[in-house]
Amino acid sequence: MLPIVSITLFLPLLGALLVMALRKAPAPLVHGIGIATSGLTLIGALWMWSRGVNETGFAQLEELAWMPSIGAAYRVGVDGISLPLVLLSTVLFFLSFIYSVKVKERPHAYVVLMLLLETAAIGTFTALDAILFYVFFEVSLVSMYFMIAGWGHEDRQRAALMFFIYTLLGSLPLLLAILGLYLGSEPHTFDMRAWIDNPPLEGGAAMLALIAMLFTFAVKTPVFPFHTWLPAAHVQAPAAGSVILAGVMLKFGTYGLVRFALQMTPDSFRDAGIVVLVFGVVAALYGAFAALAQSDLKRLIALTSVNHMGYVVVGVAIAALAVDPAVRATALDGSVLQMVSHGLVTGALFLLVGMLQDRAHTREMEQFGGLLKVVPILGWSFVLAAFASLGLPGLAHFPAEFQIFLATLRVEPVAVVVILGIVITAGLYLRAIGKVFLGEPREQWTGMSDLNTREVLSLAPLLILIVVVGIAPSLVLDVIHKTTVALQF
Amino acid sequence: MAADLALLIPEIIVLLTIVFALVAEMLRLPRIALGVTLLGLLLATAMTLPLLGMDSSVFGGTYRIDTLSVWAKLILLPATALSILLARAELGGSDREGTVYVLVTLVTLGSLVLASAGDTMLLVLGVLLSGLGAFALVAYPRDDRATEAAMKFFVFASVTGAVMIFGLSYWFGASGSTLLSDLARLETRPVIASVGLIAVIVGLGYKASLVPFHFWAPDAYDGAPVSIAAYLSVVPKIGAILALAQVVRDLPLSTNWAMTLAAVSVLTMTYGYLAALVQNNVVRLLAYSSVAQAGYFLLGVIAVGASPLAFEAIIVFAAAYAAMNLGAFAVVMATGRNLDTFAGIGRKKIAMAVAMVVFLLSLAGIPPLAGFVGKFLLFGAAMDAGFTWLVVVAILNSVLSLAVYLRIVVTLYAQPAAEGASANTPMPLVKLVWIVAAVFTLGIGLAAQALLGSL
Repeated sequence: MLPIVSITLFLPLLGALLVMALRKAPAPLVHGIGIATSGLTLIGALWMWSRGVNETGFAQLEELAWMPSIGAAYRVGVDGISLPLVLLSTVLFFLSFIYSVKVKERPHAYVVLMLLLETAAIGTFTALDAILFYVFFEVSLVSMYFMIAGWGHEDRQRAALMFFIYTLLGSLPLLLAILGLYLGSEPHTFDMRAWIDNPPLEGGAAMLALIAMLFTFAVKTPVFPFHTWLPAAHVQAPAAGSVILAGVMLKFGTYGLVRFALQMTPDSFRDAGIVVLVFGVVAALYGAFAALAQSDLKRLIALTSVNHMGYVVVGVAIAALAVDPAVRATALDGSVLQMVSHGLVTGALFLLVGMLQDRAHTREMEQFGGLLKVVPILGWSFVLAAFASLGLPGLAHFPAEFQIFLATLRVEPVAVVVILGIVITAGLYLRAIGKVFLGEPREQWTGMSDLNTREVLSLAPLLILIVVVGIAPSLVLDVIHKTTVALQF
Repeated sequence: MAADLALLIPEIIVLLTIVFALVAEMLRLPRIALGVTLLGLLLATAMTLPLLGMDSSVFGGTYRIDTLSVWAKLILLPATALSILLARAELGGSDREGTVYVLVTLVTLGSLVLASAGDTMLLVLGVLLSGLGAFALVAYPRDDRATEAAMKFFVFASVTGAVMIFGLSYWFGASGSTLLSDLARLETRPVIASVGLIAVIVGLGYKASLVPFHFWAPDAYDGAPVSIAAYLSVVPKIGAILALAQVVRDLPLSTNWAMTLAAVSVLTMTYGYLAALVQNNVVRLLAYSSVAQAGYFLLGVIAVGASPLAFEAIIVFAAAYAAMNLGAFAVVMATGRNLDTFAGIGRKKIAMAVAMVVFLLSLAGIPPLAGFVGKFLLFGAAMDAGFTWLVVVAILNSVLSLAVYLRIVVTLYAQPAAEGASANTPMPLVKLVWIVAAVFTLGIGLAAQALLGSL
């Protein structure tokens, strides 16, 4: 059988090497290679999707000896939790490459970094060896640091440095937890499947490992009060960087929360479930309120991410606390679907803000007005994405959040206060739409041009997917559910 | 005896290399001296390969041919060859060029003796052999700065060496033997064992630039030619660390040596990075960084005997450290000592800047580079030995280290201060060195099994 996971994983890397080899190539060719490579990668991910997942454990396993003497190996594979995220990543990267054709400044380095980032993202989701996971997890940081520092906006150096140091500081405790799990496993191995089947630690050691992991993933997700790097990084990052950062890299945190914290130290997670739940609720509410106070459109969207990822944390905590397996599966289904929906919706929103900024060179809501009449395609696209983001039924977020709230109601009814977040996001999005797109157009923006083909091509697939996932969530949920019902912990 | 000599073939080749190179230099043929040295070093490396997997000793147990000593040769001999290429690029054409090659090789021989020591007298011999050549190398430019640096270095080395010999005499007196393998006899005499241990930490600690015996390092590196600084930060340091590992594997546990070394390690890592943080001279910055890296090495030394990972960790990190540190110094040679000269290099010399980023991120321990694999194994070994708290400290220091190394990375991609400030002539030998170092820094990360499997 063709090792399609590995091919998908390393295709972007090959593309990056090709671009590096062609140092004299003109910019259009370089962008063409980027689009072609990420397109092939997307096809690879679709191929993986068609092969599907198993009822139990991981599917599409591919292994290769790496460091047998310490029990580390190249091991990749997918299950119902990682496969949707792989597909989401490849979609977002492909569309980001289309959007990025406009980048004229050092296109070689830009494409190389994006492709490197794509390999790192797919690798993080497919790795089944803890060292391999950590390697990809960190490589993504390095690439994103250079993306922000090289192609960001006004205050990029500071934001990039803050992002890098903050998230690296965040990820080091994970290293400690990995070492602890390694030394606790018998025989010593870094095989994540072995750790999931037989959690290697128990008691106090397991709790310490869990705390280390929770810290790492809380920074990455990000959960209040560890979120302070996020607004700065998002605001300063180039538009495609923001799409990847919010759409793909934030998922590392919640994916790790499920894969590592929940699956490898399940008993401790159950004990600490209430604490995680509280953090999730606070993050969701804080994100909504903080977003409400913003006047910078990009910052506003960045902070709604804190809100949406807070729901995911709530869902995972509820899954840990739930006794009834059916409720547990519902909570996890909702959480994983929420990750996918958030990737699609936030991706679209960041692209739209990027397009708006390309035209107006500002992100301040106060300076716009009446744009719906000037740039109708951009305007209506934003309205659609914003409605999806506030959880309108029929759009991507609704089925996910609905399941999370449903499970919450069954397990910990008090936590349902988190629903308040939806009301607030509804308010803030309506306010934003009102300020930017409604009313009479201002003089200075009347000459603004609507979306061109490149922009439509990069945006339309996301909007279509938002509607498709909203109307027929079972397309994704069937895959997720196959794994979540069978999870043993 | 003949069998003993067969095991010593690499050392004998190095010794003959020194002799031939010295003769060539006396005949005023520096190019021949260069060729002989490089050839000799490579030949000695090749002749070490058959010894892999050997666990033996010669001369009645005083000189060990074991994992540590064989890998010391496989790492230090090529590292010496690379340093000599750097020295050729920097000092080639100067007055006594050939003596540099001779002295460098002599210091390497001393470092190999240290790494293979099975006897306290060989420790002393190794420290002296690798010390004497080093003073002369630092003083080579014969200007005020170099002379002052060499003088500091010399005084420091003399004092610490004397302390070490004094302390070792206690061990000899109490155990009745100079063999390290007889140190177990000190089990019932913890005080005497501890006195000797502290003396060894002083003597080898100066060589490995452990805090608080590191004061000479930044001055000596800065006063010396950059290529010599690169060499001193790699070869004698690794030799001393391996010697420390040879000593502690025989030391009775009653001395609490592991806890003592853990304390030194914390001091070394933390002080090294804190001091590096405020340097604007890149050579001094790398000097303090190499002080801090020595603290990481100690994590492996502490685990000797307690964790099967210890030797693997030390050796892999030694190989990684040699590659990334030599590479970083090579880039400094091609650029300049001042941090300002790095501004804008990322836009002008793309490949070299990328290589520098690789070295710096590897020094900081970012995967999948060599430094990460090494540190990861060191952390694993120390945790296995029950020193989880030390690993936590090391990890926190890794964050600090990031701030140190990122300063250079950020400068690389910043706007250049003034055009033409760093109009350096291209140096093909330096380029060769950083390319080789970059290949190893990337390769050790990906192919660590090749190292681990053959240990």
